[in-house]
Amino acid sequence: MARPWREIPESEPEPESGAAPVPAALQRVRSALPEELRSRLRSARELDRTLRDEEEEHPPLVTAVPALDRLLDGGLPRGHLVELVGGRTSGRFSTLLSALAAATSIGETAALVDLGDALDPAAAAALGVDLERLLWVRPTDLKEALGSAEMLIGAGFALVVLDLGAPPVRGGRGVEAGWLRLARSARSHGSALLVGSPYRVSGTAASAVLKASRPRTLWQGGAGAPWLLGGLSARIEVEKHRRRLPGQSEGLELTAMEAPPLPAPPAPRPAAPAEERTEREAAWPTPLRAAGGRR
Amino acid sequence: MDRIACISLPLFPLAARLRSEPELSREALVVVEGNGNAARVVAGNRLARSAGIKPGLTLPQARALCPKLVARSRDEECERAAQEALLEVAERFSPRVEDTGEGTAFLDVNGIERHFKGDSPELDLGRSLIAAAEAEGLPARVGIASSKLAARIAAGLPDSPVVVPPGQEAEILAPLPLARLSPEVEMAETLERWGVRSIGDFAKLPQARVASRLGSRGRDLHATARGIDPRPIIPREPPPAFHEGMTLEWPLVSLEPFLFVSRAALERLAQRLESCGLACIRLELTLRLEPEGHQTRSIDLPAPTRDVKTLLTLVRLDLEARPPGAPVVGFTFAAQPDRPREAQLSLYGPAALSPDKLATTLARLFALLGPDRVGSPRVVDGHQPERFSLVEFTPPPPPEVRRAPRAGRGLLAARVLRPPVALEVLTDEPAPAAPTEEAPPVEVRPVTTEESEKRPKIEGAVKVASGPWGLEDGWWSEAPADRDYWDVELTAGGLYRLYRDRATGEWFADGIYD
Repeated sequence: MARPWREIPESEPEPESGAAPVPAALQRVRSALPEELRSRLRSARELDRTLRDEEEEHPPLVTAVPALDRLLDGGLPRGHLVELVGGRTSGRFSTLLSALAAATSIGETAALVDLGDALDPAAAAALGVDLERLLWVRPTDLKEALGSAEMLIGAGFALVVLDLGAPPVRGGRGVEAGWLRLARSARSHGSALLVGSPYRVSGTAASAVLKASRPRTLWQGGAGAPWLLGGLSARIEVEKHRRRLPGQSEGLELTAMEAPPLPAPPAPRPAAPAEERTEREAAWPTPLRAAGGRR
Repeated sequence: MDRIACISLPLFPLAARLRSEPELSREALVVVEGNGNAARVVAGNRLARSAGIKPGLTLPQARALCPKLVARSRDEECERAAQEALLEVAERFSPRVEDTGEGTAFLDVNGIERHFKGDSPELDLGRSLIAAAEAEGLPARVGIASSKLAARIAAGLPDSPVVVPPGQEAEILAPLPLARLSPEVEMAETLERWGVRSIGDFAKLPQARVASRLGSRGRDLHATARGIDPRPIIPREPPPAFHEGMTLEWPLVSLEPFLFVSRAALERLAQRLESCGLACIRLELTLRLEPEGHQTRSIDLPAPTRDVKTLLTLVRLDLEARPPGAPVVGFTFAAQPDRPREAQLSLYGPAALSPDKLATTLARLFALLGPDRVGSPRVVDGHQPERFSLVEFTPPPPPEVRRAPRAGRGLLAARVLRPPVALEVLTDEPAPAAPTEEAPPVEVRPVTTEESEKRPKIEGAVKVASGPWGLEDGWWSEAPADRDYWDVELTAGGLYRLYRDRATGEWFADGIYD
């Protein structure tokens, strides 16, 4: 049987001393509610203050990727799911590894749930990941990946990175209930959960969604000299964020990694005819000016 | 004077059965020994005894007295587990515990009473022992005296615990029949002829005369009758493993009923490990099969744990992977104990993972994915990008103070494609000036196989190709790598790392720059 509603009293109770003034309408509605429901009704300002207090108590986890930190107001929020969407060669995987490097560099333990089985430990170490503090989990499908991530969050890992790999993703998108469950688990355990995916998968479960787009490969050389991979330039754009408008973006610059010395590439081939070279170079990106650390 | 406590379980076979199957305590229950109609009652609970059932009756006779009688045969596994649990209770109070079997143990309690501040510390000690045993499902009785025999007899008296003050052991023993001293048959006949009926009668005889007539054994027996027990406590060795198990009433052929009874045994095992401050690092499961034979399997855990859910999951997965192949009529779990991992909490640094939680999580991940898919990655010497090794995840303790994060290096990493994706690659003509030089790829096409649907599709004209970069590794091994690498950007987008196997001429993609 439904609980009878009480009549709204005429007189408005005075706000508590020291507390921010509460709108009169909210006061009246609250006083009419049963005792157990009163504290659950909040104004937008109160809710915002509560969320800010929580953030101050649990500072975000810095990723050391300037674009990501700026767009997320300082880093990955603890207790929230952040989704980073990016196609092939968008810098998504490097960004995830950088976040792991930053977390392990401050002494936190982190886990990588690697559905694509794509981690190269040597590359991760070169990016600064402390491998001793990293747990690498290699599931074979999305269901296992979600289950593993939930277990790791429950164990208290400060940062759990779930990378779905390059498409086709083994297991599809999963159901939204699974992502909601994962986000709720992250919230209750205070873990930062970063999901890297080729397309949006987490639906409404993500607190923030960022998209890496417009990637541009940077090459050195050309004009008769051998081509050398210089790096990658992309933009990270906000798709969903509580405090930011969709469309805000930041540049992401990644430099190609130095590798162990290998035999020098062959001597440059004779230059192509002038008209052919002009045509080809017009189609190619601008050569990188800064010296890239390419092997 | 030494003080010895005896902790004893009356009707031990019944107590052991009820510990394993506590739901039977509401039924009229007897434990029998023997087979079929020749089975005889060994012990019965209060409901059975009130129906007139006594030890020694055959099972048909007992059923005639109580038609709803539940009968269980004596179970060595249950009794062994109950005895171990009793010894563990005793070891919580004293480091010197003697295992005498059959639901009895002796404890050296010299000085232990100082931990109890009441008017009668030894009585409080006895009550604590009984309470600790009852928490483990063992209805124990306790007697405390200066000799083992007196302590044992005191434990058998009503209104437990019974404390015999020092020097009064002989008074407790005096009214008891001489048979309680268990004399040898020949000596018992001699004493019978002398008209000695009780221990008190025997104690009154002069010591020197007894020694001259009955020898050294008679002298020792006489000292025991006077409350002087020269036998010291023989402490038991710490057990190498904790056992729990039972004999099933009927053979089990499916997994779920077996897991149901296993859960109760694992819960008891975890409780015992917890009471000793230990955890399980290796679990051995021995299955007794019908009609004969047994099968043993062991499950290694990545870290010590006593989480029943995890242990049960591992047992389930092991049985699903390797079914026993015959009906199961009994089982025993043996848990190899180890100290659980401890962590020092930090006031100012990042929080460390709870070792217990981490161990449980790792065990569950092992069960879900397999041990080769979970671990801490390590760099392996060599040049092949796909190389890696996994080691046990044991993170170092967090720093004492929180550090500032290291600045990002902004490097571009490659996703490794394991195994490499086979490709068909069209190459340019070699330059006339350098005919031996490797020609660059100009177009890439996927090789269609059954597996290719599940792999990244790499296809299109090449926009820029950089290379070749030679790689030669492991030429001394059976699987050498001799490759020419190219960094390739396709016109449709995507930056890939391709290589041509020099031995076969085949092309593969083993990485995507991302």
